[in-house]
Amino acid sequence: MATGSSSSPEPRAELAQALHRLRSTLARMRAELEVAEGDGGAPVDRLLSDMREALEALGNVESTALGVVRVLVVDDDERLGELTARGLRRLGYDAESSLAMRTLRPREVVVFDLSVAPSLDEPSRAALRLSRPIVLTGASDPSSRAVAEDLDASDYLIKPVDNEVLAAAIKRRKAEGQP
Amino acid sequence: MTAKLLVVDDEPRTAELTALLLRRAGYSVEVASSGTEALERIRTGSPDLMLLDYEMPDMEAPEVLDSLRSGGARIPFPVIILTGARHSPADQVIGLERGATDFVVKGTDRQVVLARVHSALRERAGSLTSITRGRLHVDASRGEARLGDRVLKLERRPLLMLQLLANRSGEVVSRAELLEKVWGSSYKGFEHSLEQAVHQVRRELKEPAWIETVRGIGYRFVVQP
Repeated sequence: MATGSSSSPEPRAELAQALHRLRSTLARMRAELEVAEGDGGAPVDRLLSDMREALEALGNVESTALGVVRVLVVDDDERLGELTARGLRRLGYDAESSLAMRTLRPREVVVFDLSVAPSLDEPSRAALRLSRPIVLTGASDPSSRAVAEDLDASDYLIKPVDNEVLAAAIKRRKAEGQP
Repeated sequence: MTAKLLVVDDEPRTAELTALLLRRAGYSVEVASSGTEALERIRTGSPDLMLLDYEMPDMEAPEVLDSLRSGGARIPFPVIILTGARHSPADQVIGLERGATDFVVKGTDRQVVLARVHSALRERAGSLTSITRGRLHVDASRGEARLGDRVLKLERRPLLMLQLLANRSGEVVSRAELLEKVWGSSYKGFEHSLEQAVHQVRRELKEPAWIETVRGIGYRFVVQP
């Protein structure tokens, strides 16, 4: 069974780095609160932003240490993208949906609906290519296949795709290891 | 109408904070502090959606789901599981196939939590909407379907299935989605029951071609009656 931790080249170093970040962020929050305790009034916005950072670091630790598999579903149809992500969550994946490419979390697998391809800017296209996405498309014509190849797709699936078929593609992608 | 949500968590402060977040978003929220209490409340009145803590001392979420499904019934409202534990997909411990709609990891951004609640409620509404398409009229909540003047004699599940397919006319609806929405579980053991339901609907419509089998994927309602 391929997991996030086994496909990562340096899980220990990554774990240490994430834990370090988590501790620094928590320490900063504690300091903020200690200062606020003296002054009265807590800097809510800074604490919230630290908290987000700490939870993100914790997520990275969990993903490395427990083999949580993260997936980003990019689809221009919000409802369908969320349905796919939810189906994956039900199979145990940490899946999110998005209408556009966003900065990827460490070791995140991308499920990319080809309808979003025309609106990609150059940096997102480069990041997407690097992730070796699983491409979903409504059509099996040669031009869609060419676009998928251009995106260096690890898999090419024709919609509608059964969640278990998609999960199998994600497993194959994880088994290949990091790009 | 304001949707009625039930929040179940054994930790009072967590339950209170979750309820507060949802009330601020305009939902009407009740709180239960254990699986047992949740089941009691549901017996007296079904919520529109339940947010259920996975780890509780008296019963864990899968047991609550199993109790709700006892007798093979479908849970009549969406259930979102809240959990603090992370798993790899290989663990298969989450038990979501037992009838939960979605799950949220504790500490998730509140906007994301609200979006998932909203989406689960919307999907539920979508599959419950009655539909009139030409001569065909289906209203599963009233248990009725007609083609022109002819009443279609359909059991509850075939009726729900026809309603869902007709609502998404022209679109392929996967077997997994049908199992989930009509049977309340994508458990493969229900596949036979799904095929029988399709057979029953085709026979009652007397138009077998209206529901097209899309091999290996699902079914599509293809006609404008």
